[in-house]
Amino acid sequence: MAHEVELQTAGNMWKVLVKPGDQVQAGDTLFIMEVMKMEVPHEAPAAGTVSAVNVAEGEEGLEAGFVAVVID
Amino acid sequence: MLEVIKPGLETSIQDWPGRYGYLNCGYPWSGPMDSWSFRLANVLVGNTPGDAALECQFIGPTLKFQRATVIALTGADMQAKLDGEPVPLWQSIAVNAGQTLAMGSARVGARGYLAIAGGIRNPVFFGSRATFNKGGLGGMEGHALKAGQVVPVGEGQGRAGLRVKETARPVIATDKRWQVEVVLGPNDDWIDAAGHERFLTTDWKLSSKSDRGGFRLEGPDWTFTERAFHKLPEHGSDPANIVDHGYPVGAINLAGQTPIILVADGPSGGGFINPYTVPQCAFWKLGQSKPGEVYRFQVIPVTEAQQRARDMAARCTHDSLE
Repeated sequence: MAHEVELQTAGNMWKVLVKPGDQVQAGDTLFIMEVMKMEVPHEAPAAGTVSAVNVAEGEEGLEAGFVAVVID
Repeated sequence: MLEVIKPGLETSIQDWPGRYGYLNCGYPWSGPMDSWSFRLANVLVGNTPGDAALECQFIGPTLKFQRATVIALTGADMQAKLDGEPVPLWQSIAVNAGQTLAMGSARVGARGYLAIAGGIRNPVFFGSRATFNKGGLGGMEGHALKAGQVVPVGEGQGRAGLRVKETARPVIATDKRWQVEVVLGPNDDWIDAAGHERFLTTDWKLSSKSDRGGFRLEGPDWTFTERAFHKLPEHGSDPANIVDHGYPVGAINLAGQTPIILVADGPSGGGFINPYTVPQCAFWKLGQSKPGEVYRFQVIPVTEAQQRARDMAARCTHDSLE
């Protein structure tokens, strides 16, 4: 079953820690957003293989709800 | 009486107008970034407009009510759900003891407000319950909410089923663009004509390095008048340097070449010039804008800014309810 990881907040993409094909465990940090000078890490909801990464480091003005990473 | 299950992103207790009157001691006003939405939330639940309530930023909290009360949500749409049921904005809602309010991501706007009948009753510090999170004062033990805390709430006379008329609500931009009013000065004479023209015709982008202390803007370089270069050495070496002076709340503070709007928790003084100031009537637009969104600035006279602030206060009353 595919898990879509949505952006929890509007903001900028500070770090992207995974690429397609990576194996991840539940709780692994996938990417870190920046808003209000704070880091907002996003974690994998389940173990699996990263099948899509739709964000890049340095991207600005992202909207909450955007599907950033897909895990199969 | 309000149990914090998840704190959200720097969710804080604020009141309005905040810790007013101590800027000379270095205490910022704090208070809500969008005082228009904030005051209407209080009015909806039968509180005075300035009563203490919660400001939720970008990612909202999850809260459990330990007794029945009346609440209202205003400002940004943070997809709040009460025991799984969506909660409408701009309305007073009855909640039962044991119910859980879960707020999510801000979709339209950036800051949502939650008022509770009776108001929040954390200790008053220097005349206000407002949180100055970076300074560690006011709020809950000086800071934003933390998981496991219980927020004290007073006894209120709230009534469910009231709504704020459409015409009395702020219209939050959905096209990422904001027209923001400014007044000239106090240091507009340090900027040359080309610099003023450039400021007022540029799309200024809001940086993600912006918080309740300052809103950092990205745009072109500034140019200065002669007085910025020919000054006594105590003014400092950068054209934007001046002998330390007091900063107005809302000052567009020129830190070298980077303009930073000094907002609710901003510094009270320092050694940079402030060519423009965002007046209180336009603060709510800052509070509801997100990183990457764009400001265009428009100069209005001080008298008009004051009138707009009075008009806003007149809208934040029972007359705006239906």
